[in-house]
Amino acid sequence: MEIPYEVTPRRDTGLYNAKLGVWLFLASEVMLFGGLFSAYVFLRLGVQEGVDNPWPWGVSVHKDFVWLGAINTIVLIASSVGVVFAWVALKERNWRRYQIYMYSVVACAVIFMCIKSVEYYSKLTQHHGIKLVDNSVMEGKILDKTDRIRFSGEKLTFSLQGAVPAAIRDFDGENFPKFKVTEGPEELVGAEISSMSQFKSWFSDGRRLVTNQLTEERRRFRGEMAAGTENPKPVSVVSSVTLTAAEPFGVTGNPRKIMAHSESAINYRDGVKVEGKLVSDEVQFEVHEVDLQLVLPTKQRESVVWSVINDEPAKKQFFDAQHKKYEELLEYYKDHGGVIPESQLRGRFLNVQYVHVAAEGHEGGHGKEDKHADVHTSETNPTAGGGEHEGAHGPSRILSVPRDQIKFMGNHGPRYGTYYAIYFTMTALHGLHVVGGALVLLFFVVFGKKLYLKNPEHLANRVEVGGLFWHFVDLIWIFLFPIMYLL
Amino acid sequence: MSAATAHEHAEAHGGHDDHHEHHDPFWKKYIFSTDHKVIGIQYGFTSLVFLAFGFFLMMVMRWSIAYPDRAVPLLADWPWFQAWLDDGGKVTGDLYNMFGAMHGTIMVFLGIVPLAFGAFGNYVTPLQIGAPDMAFPRLNMASYWLYLLGGALMFVSFFLPSGAAKAGWTNYSPLATTTDLHYGDLFWTGQTQWLVAMALLISSSLLGAVNFICTIINLRCKGMTWMRLPFFVWAMLVTGFLLLLAFPPLEVAAIMQLMDRLAGTSFFVPSGLNVSGMSFDAAGGGSPLLYQHLFWFLAHPEVYVLILPAIAIVAEIIPCNTRKPLWGYKTMVYAVMVLGFLAFIVWAHHMYITGMGPAVSTFFQTTTVLISVPSVILITSLLISMWGGSIRFNVPMLFATAFIPMFGIGGLTGLPLAFSLPDLHLHDTYYVIGHFHYVVAPGTIFALFAGIYHWYPKITGRMMSTRLGHLHFWPSLLFMNGIFAPMFFQGMAGFHRRAFDGGKAYEQISQQVFAEPNTFLANIAETLNVIDADAPLRMIDLNLVTSGSAWLLAVFQVPFIINLFLSVFVGKKVNSDNPWDATTLEWATPTPPPHGNFAKEPVAFRGPYEYSVPGAPRDFTPQFESNPALTAGSEHDAEPKEEIAAAH
Amino acid sequence: MADASHDMTKTKKSYAAVGIALLVFTVVTVTIGLAPIFDFGPPGPDGMDFVLGLAVATVKASLVALIFMHLNHEKGLIYKILLFTVLFALGLMILTMFADIDPILEQFETLQTTRGWLTEKP
Repeated sequence: MEIPYEVTPRRDTGLYNAKLGVWLFLASEVMLFGGLFSAYVFLRLGVQEGVDNPWPWGVSVHKDFVWLGAINTIVLIASSVGVVFAWVALKERNWRRYQIYMYSVVACAVIFMCIKSVEYYSKLTQHHGIKLVDNSVMEGKILDKTDRIRFSGEKLTFSLQGAVPAAIRDFDGENFPKFKVTEGPEELVGAEISSMSQFKSWFSDGRRLVTNQLTEERRRFRGEMAAGTENPKPVSVVSSVTLTAAEPFGVTGNPRKIMAHSESAINYRDGVKVEGKLVSDEVQFEVHEVDLQLVLPTKQRESVVWSVINDEPAKKQFFDAQHKKYEELLEYYKDHGGVIPESQLRGRFLNVQYVHVAAEGHEGGHGKEDKHADVHTSETNPTAGGGEHEGAHGPSRILSVPRDQIKFMGNHGPRYGTYYAIYFTMTALHGLHVVGGALVLLFFVVFGKKLYLKNPEHLANRVEVGGLFWHFVDLIWIFLFPIMYLL
Repeated sequence: MSAATAHEHAEAHGGHDDHHEHHDPFWKKYIFSTDHKVIGIQYGFTSLVFLAFGFFLMMVMRWSIAYPDRAVPLLADWPWFQAWLDDGGKVTGDLYNMFGAMHGTIMVFLGIVPLAFGAFGNYVTPLQIGAPDMAFPRLNMASYWLYLLGGALMFVSFFLPSGAAKAGWTNYSPLATTTDLHYGDLFWTGQTQWLVAMALLISSSLLGAVNFICTIINLRCKGMTWMRLPFFVWAMLVTGFLLLLAFPPLEVAAIMQLMDRLAGTSFFVPSGLNVSGMSFDAAGGGSPLLYQHLFWFLAHPEVYVLILPAIAIVAEIIPCNTRKPLWGYKTMVYAVMVLGFLAFIVWAHHMYITGMGPAVSTFFQTTTVLISVPSVILITSLLISMWGGSIRFNVPMLFATAFIPMFGIGGLTGLPLAFSLPDLHLHDTYYVIGHFHYVVAPGTIFALFAGIYHWYPKITGRMMSTRLGHLHFWPSLLFMNGIFAPMFFQGMAGFHRRAFDGGKAYEQISQQVFAEPNTFLANIAETLNVIDADAPLRMIDLNLVTSGSAWLLAVFQVPFIINLFLSVFVGKKVNSDNPWDATTLEWATPTPPPHGNFAKEPVAFRGPYEYSVPGAPRDFTPQFESNPALTAGSEHDAEPKEEIAAAH
Repeated sequence: MADASHDMTKTKKSYAAVGIALLVFTVVTVTIGLAPIFDFGPPGPDGMDFVLGLAVATVKASLVALIFMHLNHEKGLIYKILLFTVLFALGLMILTMFADIDPILEQFETLQTTRGWLTEKP
């Protein structure tokens, strides 16, 4: 028996199998994106004023990206139109036209993904922020990965009972340092290690050795306990090893994996310790915008951010701009009840202002008592603030932000806040759908000729079904675009 | 297809040359098969293996609870256990947490759902609707392999340096987000692998659900109208919809938690979170409550995914063995649809103590109480179906009969948990454990055993041994109750489910809470006269009953395993294609059914449960037999209905 | 569904019309977000934009679903499945939302911790 209704629709349901299957699949996709949209609503409504990172409300923060998003919307709409016309072409049995439409749909998908990558690249590498201890935020750019801890290591100490130490991923350079085991279980002392693969096999051998010793020791211990020995010798197995390098090796430590660091040692979260000498842990930052939404209005003038920036004109610039906007609000609310609502007072409109810290010797670069040796300048013009601040004020001074003043820092990646988290998750999932859908459609046009000659109706059905998925992807984007970029 | 040949070679494993039309190599026929029956058997074996493994995890946990001061027997010298046992060979909290989390995960997602939905659903559904196969056979194969991959990943995660997941089968954030974060390679930690494996399992279930629904809607044979579908098929349809619509939010939750762990996002990480005294390095602003919402939006319908196939199997076996029609077939169909609908709007009754606010709690209390109505309708209909019948108590019927009171106990003990006030006291105690295990263990698992005994002759052509069956059933019934009944008493006395050293921790706490004079709880206990000062000790003694029963239960699964494997070779051969004299379409196929199922295109002439029809020559009138004299008695309309009824 | 080629011209016309409508609506959405003409409230973006933007998105989505995805030709079965799907998705969204906005709890919220600084001017 053949499986019925593969091409022709069943009479009472009006559907052939694949169409019903895709509709059911789309129903589950509705629930998938429904869950994500629920999370969006929940997270956005759940922002506690003054506690959680505020969502970037409206277009003000990512005006640059609105146009990319809008172009992408148009590209996707065009591709959707392409799919329906490809289906029509198949129904009219016009293979040539079908090919043209289908290839242009796939091209649209490629364009969409390219634009998406531009956007991701810009967010991930060009925009950074630092939250200071009093929750004031500086937006701008961290230079040259200076958020990492640069260290010159000599010794590596870790336990053979855990996982492979995280620290070895942070070593600089191509070559694995030459290590010699100087402390640890007798059997291992003296061994030499000079490559990553050698290290890994040595590590698993060492772990097996320690586990076996532990098993033996414990068997003895339990035996003595069972035999009623008074005060049996407790189980003791040496599992900690120290590796000493022939010459110092560079470490660029990821602060997320590091619990604490000092002038002479880094302690990783997994218990690994690197001893040596600290090279540098200064974070170099070019500030574009100061965000005081999380600082009480009365505390804003004393905020830590001003002592970090250490520039009177910049501070004045912030509060002048804030005052101007406050007047604007007063003007508006004079006719609308007289009281400025709390959300406005603590919102982005008043508390996020463009700030330019001028480099020394340039216009505005006065009033600095502190003549720090490593004051760098940057010739780049800040653009993150958007179009309003065009033509701004020459090169910026690079701030050197002390690490103990930093509560949180990072690029505008998914980590930066719940908005960025949901933005990246949803757009990336949507992007996966675009790629998947495009691959399927590409398959239908590249390998479809055989089926077209055999049973064109079957191919038309396939295209219709693939098209259903493609339209759904478009449909999701129709919602994603306004809620992620505009509103 | 090859009906005659299939008759001659009755053994399922008899050889690869059963069907002369298909000269497929062994791997294609039994491993990468697209035949729904082979996939069903694959699902069945894999899930039984996982059930046994989950059972093993639980036995280790029960040792720790019963004998917190003694080394674990047999296991203390295994190298793997060295990292997880203390120097005296005793279970550590980490091991208990790991086994607890994985016991739940494995039993629910890798054991029972694949067995009930994957194995029975796959094998029986297409046969019962008279279809040659599932609507998308290759998709069916893909969903099995995704399931196997997910299961393998879960299993492999035990052998990672971090061990498997430890944050409970619910994987609540922020605990699950922050567990094992200190490992250098975050991807290869058990907690992360749990999420990856879940994503695979969810994808597998979604594909399966699409396939099932599509098959049932579009592949019904001629004459198989909606109201002629066996109840099993209805239950599978509703289960399919539950999986299809409830799983995606969990997939969302898993993706988000994966992002939290790997990309450092803060979906479920609130502002100002401290972990082990250190401020957690994340932006904050997320909500742990969101995770619970997304999780339970799946996990409550999942409960019905666990129980509906069980009820459905029992609903097939009871009419067959009472030789009476299923009582209230239509009522049951509507009840199951209402149940399916309500299952989506009761989830937050798992979350009363999260502080989500009284208005939401009130809403969910109401819907939760409502959902007990269709459940009771189903179970009552099954009970009434037995009334006045002359019952054949064969092994499947024994299990099916035992299912009803066991499920009843499980269901009724759930009522106090539906209300937020008693839930404050009972939440996270052994009472909850007892409640849902009564539903799932002696409930669902008994029904699944019943199903195995019932359809075994169709699958292999031989009967399972009745003697071994009895040796399996009676001790199982006894020890299942021995395990779970004491839990209600322990739970009401406040015994917490996550206390890894069982008695020791509980005794300490309860001494402080109940035995110290003039504390608030002690006063209440005294006034109500429910818990006296000795109660903790008595409750601790019950641990031994529970743990002992668990180990004995394991012993009495041996007859079943022997029976399952040996009967393939030495079981009594069936003398017809319909050894139970049943009425539904799967018994119309040759035994075992060949690829493509039916020898000639099947037609359904009447309803599914026409037993003891007055005036009929035999006490059963199968759906597939056309006898005009008999169809007159049919109350069901013959015209195919254009629309799917009501809810789904 | 149109099967014969003669009524394909009509189908093509409707597809083209929907495509153009979608483009127009995209322009409208961007305008709502960017242009101050839609700012009914105080300076800066506000909730009204959100409602308008979503309304436009819903119109666009229905056009795609009805015309491009042929929902206007389907039988009742799919409508029923989708109806319940949307119902559950909305249920998930709304019921989760109530964790933040609880009408019963709000009656008891008398403490307003942030009152103090409101009287002061920034």
